[in-house]
Amino acid sequence: MTKSAALHPAMTQSALEQNAMRMNLNHTQLLDQAQIALDHAKRAGASYADIRLGETHRQYIKAKDDRLENFDESALVGFGVRVLLEGCWGFYGAHQLDRANLETGVERALHNARATKIIQNQPIMLENLPAREATWIMPMAQDPFGISAEEKSALLLSICAAARDEGADFCSASLSLAREERLFANSLGARIAQTRTRIFPSFKAIAVDPERGQFSSRESLTPARSAGWEYILQAGLLEEARCAGKEARAKLNAKHLTPGIYDIVIDPTNLWLTIHETIGHSTELDRVLGWEANFAGTSFIKPQMLNNLQIGSELMTIIADRSQAGGLSTIGYDDDGAPAEAADFKIVEKGIFRNFQMALGQAHLIGLPQSNGCAYADSPTAFPIQRMPNISLAPNPNKCTLEDLFKDIENGIYIIGAGSWSIDQQRDNFQFGGQLFYEIKNGQLGDLLRDGAYQGRTTQFWRSLDGLGDSSTYHLDGTFTCGKAEPVQVAPVSHGSPPARFRNISVLNPCNER
Amino acid sequence: MFLSRDDAKDICDKLLARTRADACVIEIDGGEDHSLRFSRGSATTNTSATSLSLKISSHINGRIGSVTTTHLDDKTLETAQRRSEEIARLLPEDPEYVSPLGPQHYENSIRYHDAPKLLQLDALVSHAQQAIEQGQLMNVETYGCINGARRFDALATSNGLFSFERRSEIDLSVTARTRTDSWSGWAGAHEFFAPRLNSAQIALAACKKAAASAAPKDLEPGSYTVILEPDATAELAFWLMSAMDARAADEGRSFYARPGGGSRIGEQLFDEKLTIRVSPGDSLAPESSAGYEGVPHRSRDFIKNGVLRALYRSRAWAHKTNAEPVPFARNFIVEGGPTSLEEMIRATKRGVLITRLWYTNLLEPRALLLTGLTRDGNFLIENGRLTAPASNMRFNQSLGKLFAGIEALSPTQRTWRAVGAGASAAPALLLKDFVFSSQSSGI
Repeated sequence: MTKSAALHPAMTQSALEQNAMRMNLNHTQLLDQAQIALDHAKRAGASYADIRLGETHRQYIKAKDDRLENFDESALVGFGVRVLLEGCWGFYGAHQLDRANLETGVERALHNARATKIIQNQPIMLENLPAREATWIMPMAQDPFGISAEEKSALLLSICAAARDEGADFCSASLSLAREERLFANSLGARIAQTRTRIFPSFKAIAVDPERGQFSSRESLTPARSAGWEYILQAGLLEEARCAGKEARAKLNAKHLTPGIYDIVIDPTNLWLTIHETIGHSTELDRVLGWEANFAGTSFIKPQMLNNLQIGSELMTIIADRSQAGGLSTIGYDDDGAPAEAADFKIVEKGIFRNFQMALGQAHLIGLPQSNGCAYADSPTAFPIQRMPNISLAPNPNKCTLEDLFKDIENGIYIIGAGSWSIDQQRDNFQFGGQLFYEIKNGQLGDLLRDGAYQGRTTQFWRSLDGLGDSSTYHLDGTFTCGKAEPVQVAPVSHGSPPARFRNISVLNPCNER
Repeated sequence: MFLSRDDAKDICDKLLARTRADACVIEIDGGEDHSLRFSRGSATTNTSATSLSLKISSHINGRIGSVTTTHLDDKTLETAQRRSEEIARLLPEDPEYVSPLGPQHYENSIRYHDAPKLLQLDALVSHAQQAIEQGQLMNVETYGCINGARRFDALATSNGLFSFERRSEIDLSVTARTRTDSWSGWAGAHEFFAPRLNSAQIALAACKKAAASAAPKDLEPGSYTVILEPDATAELAFWLMSAMDARAADEGRSFYARPGGGSRIGEQLFDEKLTIRVSPGDSLAPESSAGYEGVPHRSRDFIKNGVLRALYRSRAWAHKTNAEPVPFARNFIVEGGPTSLEEMIRATKRGVLITRLWYTNLLEPRALLLTGLTRDGNFLIENGRLTAPASNMRFNQSLGKLFAGIEALSPTQRTWRAVGAGASAAPALLLKDFVFSSQSSGI
């Protein structure tokens, strides 16, 4: 894991303006607009107010076989103002940034705060926040929005062709780009301008046996990243597409997995999602407090388990951060204005649960002084909620290769790529599929198997971890679209890990489950 | 921003007149949204927001470039339109290109009630307060979310099509949990007409389920008779419906593909008691008038008495296969039957009553093998009555097999969906041989 050197110290107004030249929006104007809203909120008696203004620029391009199906570009501008009035939150968001709209927005937010007072049986309380002035710009070599539509289309059509040349009957490929540009300001004096760009290339190769009525697929393993176009150039997408075409075809005739209890080795391209679902979500304090009980769910972890729960084996250390290069949650400040260093903590240390993830106003509910920088709003017009920073499984400090993990397995399975996933609302009972399942026989990688899924309970599973790759095997994966909250917000997040070995895990064959 | 029909049409006309492309499509949507969440009987987050998005798709020599913006000023629109044309010129020609639709005849869909105040936060607080008070009365903790919205959608093409629809929506969902976190119940509803939302009834139903006094029983994994309440039925039916893409079936990569080639339209795939239909004029779950690409939604059976009758078909695929385009449906009705939920329980010697499902996902698409878990109100049925809460379970179940053997259906009723996700109506179902694969401690 390399740390990004992108964090900039607190900056002056003139430095902000200078850096703003590297952004799309006029930041002087945004600062003025923020001031209008915050002054208005203060005059009306709000004890705290914050505002996020900015733009999300997106491109979504999709090809299927020999056809470019979509090339959509969007630029969504907006603001969201949040006020705290007599212990009640009020929030309002809109796309129009003119003075009249900002003032109306503050009035509507204040109105909402007053309206909820009658059911505010537990007043919202905030900890003290440091007020920072800063600019943070994600480093990248080549802006992907500057790459021509021609080049992007050609890339996707080439991916489809490569997969089909090597055995797939069909292939769809897509490219998602997003650039967030934000100004965060609050009534305590914070003024933070940030911009980051992320990119997600994806494809799915499908092979069909029409006579038997069978088909199989192999989805891409190349992860989404916070990165510029240079990431796409070195990602080896065409080579991967060729492999995927062959593997989709090979899966059609692969032997069936015999369900049972196995020692399994999970590749980072699969394990990231298991980390996300079992550890990422179960350690979110808003879930533990019940704030998500009606939808995303609660957690099997309770506040009294902090520093007590043996969640996994001694090999298990889970790290939160906002500074990992390429991480989809990497940013200078979260959406409460907390600096990245606040989100640099261990969630699990040598198997012991050490920290919850927290957003503004949550820490005091479990007797802690300060939240730890885990807030995100998926658009300027959305209420910021607790969301994950990058959350990753630390590699083994001792030398250990993938082959070392296979060595003492007599009869096991190696799982690559994320497939079907599902977990209960308290993040305990899970079942995860994959893209590729291979036999491990007498310490060696064996034949490809048709389909599979592993099933388990979170603590039992992580306590069975007994082998971990070293840093040379580490891989950062992640998603653009983790859903949470009502109304649903989607967040980008990365999870890194080495390959890992788990003992005595239940593996099932979906074809037998029919 | 909640535009009128005239305002939306003026904007569309202006942009269509300015196009330099061979053809042009304008889509505008927007509105006002309000939302309130509460937890342990107290407000947590709330939002009000206005939104607007305008998409310009320029068609040039069989290529389409699209740009979306949130601003309606002339300069922004001009820039967006020229950019969409620039993108289109740079793309490869689409071998399956079809030009935009011309004027269409749409069935009437009534989904708007002009009472914006009933959707705003003050009104939402009153509904939430009822739920909180019901929880206090029954000594359970209440958690929930209520959303209100009014929205519009406009679509115009340079070939003469203009469609405009408005809808109002409100939804409330309430989870009740015992104060010791040992059991939970849930209920919810979604309405296009805000006065129809009965928050007292929703709160009571959720609290009653949570207030069960007996300790939950752990059941062994295996095959069970189950009664799915309407929300659980609708969730399973959603998966049946979402797999209904004609192209995937024709290309042999779908449950609805026939071995040897082609789709299974016309085949008896399910129990004859299963009918799923879509209708803009339906009183329970009306579909919108205009579907994707402006193709009209027609009253249509997708499954009739267990026989597959229709699949979704894009205009490009319809053109290529010389078939009728059928837009994807977000609103659907699963037809019901004459048996009440209480009769189903009385007729069950041993089984499980399921309130709702959670984290459903396809495990194996060829058999529509679905996994997921029960949640917030699982009850053991023994000798015709509910005897205890039953701990939640994971299921791995082929929907093809499950819907091939339906024992009984209740009258259909409107089910919960979050605002913006469409509407569905479904009955309770009595089913045999539902496969629970493992136990869950999740409450």
